[in-house]
Amino acid sequence: MARDGLILEVEAVCKHFGALAALTRVSLAVEAGQVFSVIGPNGAGKSTLFNVVSGLHEPTAGRVRFAGEDITGLPPEAVNRRGLAKTFQITNVFPEISVLDNVRVAAQSRVAESGRVASLWRRSDVDRVALPLLDAFGLAGRRDELAANLSHGEQRYLEVCLALATEPRLLLLDEPTAGMTPGETRQATALIRAIALERGLTLLLIEHDMSVVMGISDRVAVLHFGEKIAEGTPEQIRSDPGVIEAYLGGADD
Amino acid sequence: MSRLGGRAGVVAFALLAALPAAPWMSKYYLLLAFDALLFGAIAMSLDLLMGYTGLVSFGHAAFYGLGAYATAILLERGVLSLWACVPFAILVVGVYAVVVSYFATARRGIYFALLTLIFAEVVYTFFRYTQTFGGSDGIQGLPDATLWPGVAIDTPVRKYYLVLAYLVVAWVVCRTVVTSHFGRVLVAIRENEDRARFLGYNVQRYKMAACLISALLTGVAGAIYPMRSAFATPDLMLWTESGEFIISVMIGGLGTLVGPVVGGAFFTILRDKVSSVVDWYFIVIGVVLIVIVLFMPRGLLGLRRLLTPHRWRATA
Repeated sequence: MARDGLILEVEAVCKHFGALAALTRVSLAVEAGQVFSVIGPNGAGKSTLFNVVSGLHEPTAGRVRFAGEDITGLPPEAVNRRGLAKTFQITNVFPEISVLDNVRVAAQSRVAESGRVASLWRRSDVDRVALPLLDAFGLAGRRDELAANLSHGEQRYLEVCLALATEPRLLLLDEPTAGMTPGETRQATALIRAIALERGLTLLLIEHDMSVVMGISDRVAVLHFGEKIAEGTPEQIRSDPGVIEAYLGGADD
Repeated sequence: MSRLGGRAGVVAFALLAALPAAPWMSKYYLLLAFDALLFGAIAMSLDLLMGYTGLVSFGHAAFYGLGAYATAILLERGVLSLWACVPFAILVVGVYAVVVSYFATARRGIYFALLTLIFAEVVYTFFRYTQTFGGSDGIQGLPDATLWPGVAIDTPVRKYYLVLAYLVVAWVVCRTVVTSHFGRVLVAIRENEDRARFLGYNVQRYKMAACLISALLTGVAGAIYPMRSAFATPDLMLWTESGEFIISVMIGGLGTLVGPVVGGAFFTILRDKVSSVVDWYFIVIGVVLIVIVLFMPRGLLGLRRLLTPHRWRATA
């Protein structure tokens, strides 16, 4: 069982790709309602960690528990149905359908007849979920545009909309502001944070840029070469000599 | 109503229903119209997979041929009712389709095309070399089927209305699928299979369901073919037949349903007309198809885009 208030427990997870150890005994405990960030230089194993948690990869060793239930090795669709949604570092939407239909198809994943024969004729109102989301991210005016025609920043927002439309309790954001200017990044992180708070969501965030997460995180873990080298509040992390070494010294390795 | 095509759909079906009354209509043209509509309906069923789900089946001829043999086997034994032949075909094709679609969708990418082809070749070979089913001659000289006792489907006009009725049913099924929540998931899978999984969709199950619906519609088309031709032969299951279904979808316009009906009819009529003039008709047809693919990448239906701003691509 989950210890009180823990929504995600990653226990001593290892992931090897052949001889490469991408993750070595990484453990995390994320409390419900927190903004938890995982940072580290490129190639530290952050995305692999997300892929293990979200069901894309099965870990070589270790367990993943979500809301007290063991989800280790479950496929992505099963993990998502339990209330864990993920956004992608490289924009991953449905390019040749409209923005609104993108969010609709995500939202209808949660209606009662989803996956049943009844989904052929019964059509629940999913716009009730989809339209407010588009509004919140300023995409309402673009709803009839093909997703492929959106700007990079708009596609990043649509990416988050898709994940949120499946009504998760825990949202995994893989570098949500990748490719944005510093100004856009600040705006986007503030917006995502606000929406998460409003919905009572827990956020698990990956970033390689330390400055993005420091202002918004309750807790930060640092990965380096597949190992967790530090965890704590943003202040503790900022002054941790190991972290400074990893970020500043890493370039010379 | 708009879900089923609205006024344009009603007008189109009314025109088709009035076709036998046309002054130039002959027995020959009615049977050609039968073939054209049957081919069009099969192409439309295949479009559910190709245009909407993004899966290319190289084995639809097996669904078609199995449906035809199901009917032929019953007619040969004196079971003449349409209402026995069609359900029997649905049963036979359904069992086969579940097996094929399970294995064909278990892996991604080229495997679907390959496995549907391989399964179909196995079925073809089985019927080609099994003497119980007539070997390479198939089952010939079948009696006419009956709509109900005493009413045989024996004249070209009755046969034509049989295929038209089937086209209406197939159209309603296909439109219902593509305008449903289920259809929207199919399009999402076509667009981005991985993302669909991360939104909670069991992609294989959806692909299997789409494959099954498409296969059953094609199987029913196969079931009514011997009611017009009085035979079922293994050639109906040849891979070239599957290829012609795919070509019909391409010339009509992927992901439009109407397009493949037009494409299938166009292909059938073109083949018939050219082959009655020259022996090397496949060269002529080949050239026409290359021109269409090169200059009308959205198919014959794409021509409409030039006239109206309406979007024809499936958006579900």
